[in-house]
Amino acid sequence: MLGFLTARQAGLDDPLRLRRAESTRRVLSLKLNPDRDVDRIHGNGINTIDIEAIEGRYMLSGGADGVIVVYDLENYSGQLQYTCKAVCTVGRSSKYVHKFSVETVQWYPYDTGMFVSSSFDKTMKVWDTETLKPAEVFQFEGNVYSHHLSPIARKHSLIAVGTKEPKIQLCDLKSGSRIHVLQGHRAEVLSVRWSPRYEHILATASADSKVKVWDVRRASGCLFTLDQHNGDKSKASSEAVNTAHDGRVNGLCFTGDGLYLLTTGTDDRMRLWNSATGENTLVNYGKVCNESRKRLQFTVSRGCSPEFVFVPCGSSVAVYGLHTGELVTMLRGHYNNVDCCEFHPDYQELYSGGKDCNILAWVPVIRASDVEEETKSANQLQVSREIGYWQFDRPKGFLASGSGSET
Amino acid sequence: MNRKRALISDTFKVKKRRNGTQKFGAVSDGDGPTDIRATLEYLMTLFPRKLFNDTLPQIVLKHQLYSIHNDKTLVDKELNKLREQGELLMFQLGFDADTFGLVFASDYKAKVLAGEEGRATRATVEKFLQKLPSPCTDLSFTKDKMLREFLFTDSEITQLVKSGVLTVRDAGSWWLSIPNSGKFTKYFIQGRKAVLGMVKKSKYSEVLKAQLEERRTTSHVKFHIKYHIHDIVGAELVESIPTTSGILLRFVEP
Repeated sequence: MLGFLTARQAGLDDPLRLRRAESTRRVLSLKLNPDRDVDRIHGNGINTIDIEAIEGRYMLSGGADGVIVVYDLENYSGQLQYTCKAVCTVGRSSKYVHKFSVETVQWYPYDTGMFVSSSFDKTMKVWDTETLKPAEVFQFEGNVYSHHLSPIARKHSLIAVGTKEPKIQLCDLKSGSRIHVLQGHRAEVLSVRWSPRYEHILATASADSKVKVWDVRRASGCLFTLDQHNGDKSKASSEAVNTAHDGRVNGLCFTGDGLYLLTTGTDDRMRLWNSATGENTLVNYGKVCNESRKRLQFTVSRGCSPEFVFVPCGSSVAVYGLHTGELVTMLRGHYNNVDCCEFHPDYQELYSGGKDCNILAWVPVIRASDVEEETKSANQLQVSREIGYWQFDRPKGFLASGSGSET
Repeated sequence: MNRKRALISDTFKVKKRRNGTQKFGAVSDGDGPTDIRATLEYLMTLFPRKLFNDTLPQIVLKHQLYSIHNDKTLVDKELNKLREQGELLMFQLGFDADTFGLVFASDYKAKVLAGEEGRATRATVEKFLQKLPSPCTDLSFTKDKMLREFLFTDSEITQLVKSGVLTVRDAGSWWLSIPNSGKFTKYFIQGRKAVLGMVKKSKYSEVLKAQLEERRTTSHVKFHIKYHIHDIVGAELVESIPTTSGILLRFVEP
């Protein structure tokens, strides 16, 4: 680590390299921190969480009881011990609450004034955060498994919705219309995801074992279907043509730069695909336990040098190296199945929610200060400097580790 | 100025180390080039040749290699390299879509020809083995490939199926297979179930690997128990946990 700092000081290395090195070090030391807690509001399992992209301050969570909660993740209390408080809740007493479990929540990508939630009560609601009333309600014919708004879209404001029907509906936020439909799948659509690189590219995963990539501007069908054998017809049995997995595909995640797509399926495998060509990169992650009948929300780290994938696996979260496929560690702490996890790119923290109604925050372990520094003058000065960091100066990423001075 | 540009991942040694140098319970090398060929040869020695009266070539399963080497992607890449060099052949064994058997190409050809001595189908099988492209990366063949590329007639294809070199996959396509491997599959599945049962019935469904190797096996287990242990660890049917007394195998509920 000191090597990186010296190189940065001397100008031998790009500043980005030091930032990446520190982000990687922080992700490798993720642990449950007794000082950090998230308010426990949900009475039933938590199905989905989303952290807003603008400030990284507010987190939404949707539960199996239809309740939606907004948490404030920032610590302005000046203490090390901090509980992320719930700012507001759409509880069971609200007139507009979802009747059944909320499957997906997502903040509007440009500001926190709005968020969208979809649920098994066959509706998708667009909420106004201030008044907690739905500004728009979209009705569907089947349970809504997943929806996604493109995080980079400037030219359109479409929400892609995957339901029990095999067709994918695109709902327009601006006009409220739902005419655009993508046909092609043969069974329920379990997950939909827009590419973070191109605003018109959409990937969808379905229970018919296929993953299709679409360009929404195109009138005819999908761009391509992902094939796990890369066209090598000799490997599979002839019914399993063009399938991404040997079972239902229930999880989709693009990497931060949008160049790769990860899919997980009920055949206990996770595959990494080149998102431009649809080629299976054949990275072997081994057995990634997956028994979910619905969408699985997993996430990829951003800003680290070997990127990491965080996948909920039973009652723990498995961390894999993205391109090597090796299991780095298992994060154990939940009491029951973990359903969703989300990575906070600015602080390299991981939030995971599960059936035990808890959201756990996995925080990088703060590096213990050296013995010489502690015995130096003014222990109090040291402590106040630490608190000072927490209180006022919590800049992104690498300077947030406890002791201020680096030798 | 000579400054080696290292990767950030090398600095942090992404795989966590516990006590620095001492990696208890680990069988494989952490550093150093992984020698897949040597591992294959070691696993081949565990295969019981006498059981089949030397009619079968030595078969190793692909996932047995995962139990020895940590990096699965690297193992896959090396195996593909060996297959492209024409030294190794991979077969779909039939009982699981993901299970592949590996046989050295020279071994395979020798045993098949030896098995065909004095049989009517010998000529066709010889012709087939000669026609097989030297780096053969295909696991199965379709009808028009057989007819057009290899110029076989229908009756010759029937002879190949009879001799066991091809097995039916579905209408119009065949898997490449090892003749007389039915016995192998039967004993293998039997043995796997028996060894898994041994682990499951142990107290807390876990047993130290060293202890399991010492146990007396029932008559159901016809192969060397190490062969089965590599199989169940590589297929992730048991979890392999490093402890201070060695590797612990814990049964995983499917």
